Amino acid sequence: MKSWLDRLRDPSERTLGVILLSPAFALLALIVVYPIGKLFYNSFFDMRLSGGQGSKWIGWQNYADMIKDGAFWDATWNTVLITLITVPGALVVGLALALLANLPFKRQWPVRLALLLPWALPLAFAGLIWAWFFHTEYGFINDVWVRMGGEPRMWLLSPVSAFAAICIAIIWKSSSFMALILLAGLQMIPKSLYEAAEVDGASRWQQFWQITVPMLMPSIVVALIFRTITALQTFDIPYTMTKGGPGNATETLAMYIHKTTIDYLDVGFGSTLAVGMFVLSMILTAAYLRHISRQESA
Amino acid sequence: MNDRGGLLSGVRLRFIAATIVVLNGFFPAVWILFTSLKSEAELFRKPITYFPHEPTLRNYIAAAVDQPLFQVFMKNSVVVALLATVVSLLVAAFAAYAIARLNLKRRQLILTAIIASSMFPLITLLVPIFETMRALGWLNSYLALVFPYVVLNLPVCTLVLVSFFQSIPRDLENAAMIDGCTRFETLWRVVLPLSAPGVFTAGILAFVNAWDEFLLALSLNSNAAMRTLPVGITLYQGEFTFPWPIISAALIVAIVPVAIVIAIFQERVVGGLTAGGLKG
Repeated sequence: MKSWLDRLRDPSERTLGVILLSPAFALLALIVVYPIGKLFYNSFFDMRLSGGQGSKWIGWQNYADMIKDGAFWDATWNTVLITLITVPGALVVGLALALLANLPFKRQWPVRLALLLPWALPLAFAGLIWAWFFHTEYGFINDVWVRMGGEPRMWLLSPVSAFAAICIAIIWKSSSFMALILLAGLQMIPKSLYEAAEVDGASRWQQFWQITVPMLMPSIVVALIFRTITALQTFDIPYTMTKGGPGNATETLAMYIHKTTIDYLDVGFGSTLAVGMFVLSMILTAAYLRHISRQESA
Repeated sequence: MNDRGGLLSGVRLRFIAATIVVLNGFFPAVWILFTSLKSEAELFRKPITYFPHEPTLRNYIAAAVDQPLFQVFMKNSVVVALLATVVSLLVAAFAAYAIARLNLKRRQLILTAIIASSMFPLITLLVPIFETMRALGWLNSYLALVFPYVVLNLPVCTLVLVSFFQSIPRDLENAAMIDGCTRFETLWRVVLPLSAPGVFTAGILAFVNAWDEFLLALSLNSNAAMRTLPVGITLYQGEFTFPWPIISAALIVAIVPVAIVIAIFQERVVGGLTAGGLKG
């Protein structure tokens, strides 16, 4: 019989597994599992951290309030719209960048660095930079616009152009990651496929649709799934560009949850909103996965 | 053969392609650099200038010296990102080794559980994490950010490290154990040195993730002295009326260190991203 000290120094596979995996699972319990439980629990309480009057069980009242809350539906709509615009947008731009970057350059690093830089840039910084680009008087975009004969515009102060500006910034920021994933996929397509197609007289266009797109599908699916999950959580770029304004025209669900809980300290209702967001992201992710797998099998 | 002559022939096509990609990636940063070098008088002249006509470093001095908190933000960002990186690597390396090497039942399930749960939308957990940190008394401290960032990093680091551990020949480990090394000695003397490149790659990705994070840093550390760079610079706006030249200088100072690291280790970063890439 080994002493416990010996066992600790030279443990069996199973004991070692438990020892090695426990830090990861302890952290996940503290930061993910317990909070999920607490989230659902909180959503049934009237709970404000500001007043100090404690929390009161109110059943489904928060959920009833949420369904009647116009700001919740506006924020949900904005989030869905941002996802529907920026995910395909980033795919198209990212694919174009990947195709361009895949050409046989003598020096690879300037192109590769140009794809890595937007990826490494904090989202908040990207938002600040694009806010400056869209500045009403001194912004680069406005300058180009005026030079082309347009009237100076308050880009970030009108609902439609502010929304469009945010989508452009998100697409710019996220397309480079997309391009990196797709570029890796492109480089795995065997050259011989294109050579064979060339012999058969296929045009460039045919080669793209018959070889590149189908061979790239696995990478595209991976990139799209991650992009959708992050698009639903959009916070940093609208927060730094417009703070959700004008009015709440560019407020996303994440921003509304943040405002309710961190600024107004209304934890009960904020948790209910977060449950709503949780359900929304589950539905969209599931629908998305089903759609994609159906397309793939078709 | 297709007609590939004319305007879009080889060299010229490649040059145009490279220019588009490079402009797309660099232009915003270059524009901010130009802005940061302009004097206030030049910046607010119309029509706007593109290149700075009388370059000045005054904005950098203003950002670093007149804003004493800028140095504090920088320190906070460095400390939080480094701590998060070290802890992420330790936790992920332990888990990845167990998944890659040990004879465990349901290894795939364990890996999926780790990845799926750490990819849970952070914003939905913001409130309970806020409450937990408040209960622990960790709000406005480095700890409040380090632990959630480790969770954020767990999927990428675990995936990168699992694939690295799997590439180390098992015979090397067996030989070390036959020579009388204990399991931990084998880990420390054989596995760790061999997986150094993987650890390094995972480390860069973890550092960038932590350096970039905004929502939690904004929500959990509201005290100005505990803000990280992204939050600190964003909130400059509230304290003054949009000091764009100073913000630009601050952005450049905050971007350059990470950009240099990325430039030096770009091949590794790309490899790591595509092996276990998960960031948006």
